[in-house]
Amino acid sequence: MNTLKLRMRVRHSEGALVRVLSVTRRRRFDLLHVSADATPDGAFLEVQMTVQAERAGHTLLSQLAKLEDVSEVEILEPAETERDAQVASLGA
Amino acid sequence: MKGAQFLVKALEREGVEVIFGYPGGAIMPVYDALIDSKIRHILVRHEQAAALAADGYARASGKVGVCMATSGPGATNLVTGIANAYMDSVPVVAITGQVATNLMGTDAFQEVDIFGITLPVVKHSFLVRTAAELPEIVHEAFRIARSGRPGPVLIDLPKDIANTVAGYEFDANGKGEVTAAPSNESIAYALELLRKSERPVAYVGGGVGMANALAELKTFIETTSIPFVATLKGLGSISTKHELALGMMGMHGMKAANHAVQESDLLICIGARFDDRATGRLNGFAPHAKVIHLDVDAAEIGKLRHAEAPVAGNLRDSLKALACQLNIEPWRRKCLAMKEATQWDYDAPGSQVYAPDFLRRLSERAGENCIVACDVGQHQMWVAQHFHFTNPAQHLTSGGLGTMGFGLPAAIGAQFAFPDATVINVSGDGSIMMNLQEFATLRRYELPVKVVLFDNSALGMVRQWQELFHDRRYSEVDLSDNPDFALVAQSMGLTSFRVDRRQDVDGAIDQLLAARGPVLAHVIIHQEANVWPIVGPGKSNSEMMDEVTL
Repeated sequence: MNTLKLRMRVRHSEGALVRVLSVTRRRRFDLLHVSADATPDGAFLEVQMTVQAERAGHTLLSQLAKLEDVSEVEILEPAETERDAQVASLGA
Repeated sequence: MKGAQFLVKALEREGVEVIFGYPGGAIMPVYDALIDSKIRHILVRHEQAAALAADGYARASGKVGVCMATSGPGATNLVTGIANAYMDSVPVVAITGQVATNLMGTDAFQEVDIFGITLPVVKHSFLVRTAAELPEIVHEAFRIARSGRPGPVLIDLPKDIANTVAGYEFDANGKGEVTAAPSNESIAYALELLRKSERPVAYVGGGVGMANALAELKTFIETTSIPFVATLKGLGSISTKHELALGMMGMHGMKAANHAVQESDLLICIGARFDDRATGRLNGFAPHAKVIHLDVDAAEIGKLRHAEAPVAGNLRDSLKALACQLNIEPWRRKCLAMKEATQWDYDAPGSQVYAPDFLRRLSERAGENCIVACDVGQHQMWVAQHFHFTNPAQHLTSGGLGTMGFGLPAAIGAQFAFPDATVINVSGDGSIMMNLQEFATLRRYELPVKVVLFDNSALGMVRQWQELFHDRRYSEVDLSDNPDFALVAQSMGLTSFRVDRRQDVDGAIDQLLAARGPVLAHVIIHQEANVWPIVGPGKSNSEMMDEVTL
C-alpha cells in the first residue's frame, strides 16, 4: 500500500474541490486527510491531501494534472521520482 | 440583450450550425432566442437521443456536437449520452436549463444537480452565475471540448440568468489552443527501441483519427513496414484493406491480429488505452513486448501497462518523428502469412441470412464513403469484423461505454453533418428498442438513413455468453415477443421490408441503397448465430475460441 502526500493549486471555481476528490475516489485512492485554504485574493485554493492506494502515485498525479481547474500538482511525500516529475510536467 | 441571447450569439460565434435538443420549462428562454438564430435546432423525441446525435455528429464531422435539454429529467436523460462521449473522447457541449438561482438547493420542481451528477463523466463543466460571463464560458467550453484529448463539457444555465438583460462584450483573440509536442528525449529513446526491435506491431486506437493524424500514421506504417492492428475505434485509421493491416485485435479480433500482438517484441501503442476488451487478461497481453506509448493524454501512459518509452504529446509530431526505415522483413512476411491463413470464411450452412456475409456484401455495395453507425452487441462486432473502412469517421460505434441505443441517434447526427452521404444504422432487436422513438425524427426531417435491423429474437451477445460461459443457463434473453419491426417502422413513416432468406440478400441490399427516404430492412437471422472468434473472460488473447456457426 502506497501513502502519498500531495499539494495542489486549484482554481477556486464551481465544484473544483469536489472534482478533485471525485477523481481521487474514482481512481481508487483512499483519502486519509485533506485541507484547502483560499489564497488571499480568493482566486485559488491551496490543497494538501494524503491518500493511500495499491496503485502507483503517478497514476493519480497525472489524472489530477489534467483537470482544468488544477494549475499545479506535486507529490510531497515520498519524494517525487524522476518519472513522476516527468509525467506531472507533461500533463500540466 | 438577455442571457439566452448571449448564449445563442456565442454558439453562432463558435460556428455551431446544428443543435440536437428537446425543450422544457427551464430552457425556454434559450428556445425563444433560437427563433431568431440561423442555428438549426433538431427536435428529437427523447433527450438521450439528443446527446447521442450530437456525439454522432461530432464523430462524423470532426466538429463539436451540441445538445440541449431542460432541467431535471431533461438533464438526467442526457447523462448516458454525455458518458458515452466521455468514454470515447468525443467533443460535445451539453447545455442544460436549470431552475432559477433563488430556487437552487430548495428541491424545486424539475431541479436536479446536473453539475454534480455529471462530474465523473465530463471533461469539464460550468454553472453560469452571471449573464455577462456567458460568452467566455461558451468559448471556453468549446476550447476544452476539442483540445488535447477531446471530451464532453456541460453548461448549466439557470433560468433567471437566461432572462437577465446585460451588455455583450467578448474578445476571444489570443485564446487559441496548443497541444504540446513530444520531448526530444522521449522520441530518441523510442527510436532506439524501434531500431532494436525484430517483431514490432503497431496498435492503433481512436486517438489517431481525433488527432487528425491519419496521414502521419500512414507514412509511419509505410516507412517502417510495421504490421498494424486496430482497436474498435481505430478501425479505418488506415484502410482496413491495407497490405499491412492485420485487422481488429481483442475479444472478437482477427486471429492474425491477436497472434501478432502476442508474439511481438515491441508494441507501438498509438492513441489507444489498453482497454480490457482489446487486451484480454492484461498480464497475459503481449507478454514479450516492450511498449512505446504515444498519446496526447499523459494520464493514459502507464495507467494499465508500463511503457518503456512514454511519448506524451500530439500524435502528428510523434508519428512524424518516429517514421524510419527498419529491417524487419522476416517478421512482416510472417504476419502477412498469418493473415492470409486466417481469412474469414463466408460459407455457412443453412438457408437463413448469415449476418457476416450480409455485411460484407453491404460494405462492397455501399461504397467507401458511407457512414455506419452501430448499436451494441453481436451486430456491432460483425460490423467491425466484416465492414471495410478507409476512415475512422465512417465507423460510429460506442466503444467505451457500450451504449445500446447509440446507433440510430448517431446515424441521425451523421446525416445532418453530411446530408448527401449514405448513412447506415446497423442495429439489433435489443438495441433498436432503446431509441426506437427516433424513427419519428427520421420521418420529421425526411432523413434517408438506412436501418439494417438484425433480429434473432434474443439479446444475442448476452445469450452467446450464457451459452458459452454459463452452461447454457439462459436468463432473460428471450425477445421472441418482439413487435413486427417492419410494421412499426411503416407506422412511423419509414419504408420497410423483411428479409429472411439468404437468396434474397442481394435484392434487399439493392432496395435498401436505392431508397430515397428513411428505410428499414428487417433481417431475420438464426437465434444461435454467434460472433467468432471470442476470447473468454479472464483469458489472454492467445486463447481465442473458434467454432463454425449455424
